[in-house]
Amino acid sequence: MTATTPRPARDAGARSHDHAGSFAGTPDDPRVQLDRDLGVFEPIPPYPPRTERESEFYTLRDGEMFINMGPQHPSTHGVLRVVLKLDGEKVVDLDPVLGYLHRGVEKLCENADYHQAICYLDPLEYVSSLFCEWPGVMAFEKLLDVQVPRRAEYIRVLSAELNRVASHALFLGWMALDLGGLTPILWSFIERDEIVDMLASLTGQRMLFNYFRIGGVNGDLNHEFMSRLGDWMGKATEQIEAGNTLLNENEIFVRRMRGLGSIDSKAALRMAMSGPNLRATGVPFDVRRAHPYSIYPELDFDIPTRSEGDCLARYLLRMDEVKQSLRIIDQCLHQMPDGPVMAKLPRLLRPRPGRAYAGIEGPRGQYAAYVVSDGTDQPFRMRIHDPSFIHLQAVGLMMPGHLVADTMAVMASLDPIMGGVDK
Amino acid sequence: MDRAFKARLERRFADQLTGPVRQRHDETEIRIGPGDVTQVITALHDEPEFRFEFLADLAGVDTGEVMQVVYHLWSITTADWLRVIADGLSRDDPRVPSVTFMWKGAEWMEREAYDMFGITFEGNRDLRRIYLPPDYQSFPLRKDFLLPDDAARSPGGGVRPMERTHIPQNAPATAPVRRVGG
Repeated sequence: MTATTPRPARDAGARSHDHAGSFAGTPDDPRVQLDRDLGVFEPIPPYPPRTERESEFYTLRDGEMFINMGPQHPSTHGVLRVVLKLDGEKVVDLDPVLGYLHRGVEKLCENADYHQAICYLDPLEYVSSLFCEWPGVMAFEKLLDVQVPRRAEYIRVLSAELNRVASHALFLGWMALDLGGLTPILWSFIERDEIVDMLASLTGQRMLFNYFRIGGVNGDLNHEFMSRLGDWMGKATEQIEAGNTLLNENEIFVRRMRGLGSIDSKAALRMAMSGPNLRATGVPFDVRRAHPYSIYPELDFDIPTRSEGDCLARYLLRMDEVKQSLRIIDQCLHQMPDGPVMAKLPRLLRPRPGRAYAGIEGPRGQYAAYVVSDGTDQPFRMRIHDPSFIHLQAVGLMMPGHLVADTMAVMASLDPIMGGVDK
Repeated sequence: MDRAFKARLERRFADQLTGPVRQRHDETEIRIGPGDVTQVITALHDEPEFRFEFLADLAGVDTGEVMQVVYHLWSITTADWLRVIADGLSRDDPRVPSVTFMWKGAEWMEREAYDMFGITFEGNRDLRRIYLPPDYQSFPLRKDFLLPDDAARSPGGGVRPMERTHIPQNAPATAPVRRVGG
């Protein structure tokens, strides 16, 4: 069989064995390799459509074609498959296929006790782990009516804001990388590594910190962390400015991002978006101000907003947020009270039956946890709300009419992390 | 806690509420029947005294006896999170109207609730499995879906009244049902 032979129909019965020669039916038959069913990696699913939307999407009109992006595509920030429906080079519609990273975190949490559940929350979004732990811990504290010591709250805010800067630094690098620029990721990894090493000296881990505890944090501030933080704070503003200049003054970058993937405030609210992606459309919704938690009411910081709602606005807004985070870190260091970092709690926690919801503002939007207790030592139901999941869904609204190559730019500007999307 | 908000809810939704309005910490909770979801959500979103325009979360819950769909909403008119529980869905055929007419972004959250609990959201145009493969049969976050290894070792294994054997209606006939713990 030569390469020019047309590929037979997918079902095995329709295969033609006319020219198979002496290899027919043996494992050496080259056609067995060529004709094998590629299964889930075919753009068109091998079963009839189950819903109205699916049958609409998988019906091609004249001149349209499907193309698979992923699941092993470098710019999907994880393992994601996006089926693109193209007309020439224009995207007509797209259908993200999730589940490649699904671990069933909610079920695992329901089968662990309250202390153990926290460590399942870390790997959800591995670039901003502290923000994944926080809502879970906060919801458990609400169930238990625990009062967290003030020093612990300050340490939480301090470490979380550091994590936010690291996450946004990485966002800058990834976004430029998806557009074809290699330098910013090298620069932003320097930034991010400094913060991550700093947090490692505080928490003992570089990425999956597992630092927050029910009723406080795992350990007090130590000398190494403080000295690293002091070094970094001295040059942070300068470093971040330098990284921004690399992109802000790059005409190719700015012209490509402006007007790309825009969404207005009404549509953003209808898509249930939150965080920087919502604020880039002009809605000043930030959970830290809208629904204050921890010690944020005591701190002085601004909520930057932009009105354009395009990729450039989302990028610039995150860079503004980094500056506000630096302000918060500075205030935390100056106002840090003395005292214990853990509330006194029994080893085995049995909260009264009830329900609690805790939402926080993370680098990507609202992270939330909804916990139902039935009076035993395990959460009866643990729901984890992740902003990446919501934002990935909005790509379908932003993409139609843009070019294939812009899919990555739009997705990168929303900053989804597949670990959180797939849970 | 926002007492005035509680009074407003009680006055406006006197006919729809199926239980008392509960308040704890910074949350207010109302319970409604699944048939009233469209009406209550529309009123909460549109009426100037509520203006709940931000859908914070949508979750399914299996209590062991009934299914629930839980909406968390946020508004500028009150300092509380509002939790709307659509209560009393039957476990054999849970059905509830979709809220995608109001928040298109609820589509994937409803798909997830369908994937994990088998709750049918009427009006959702794309209600198919989202995480699990399309040929998967059971609904893993239901309370009768046990993780035998973990649950058996946990202090709660076999003690909880919820963890009793129950075969989901659409489970394959050959699916092994294992009783865990004592």
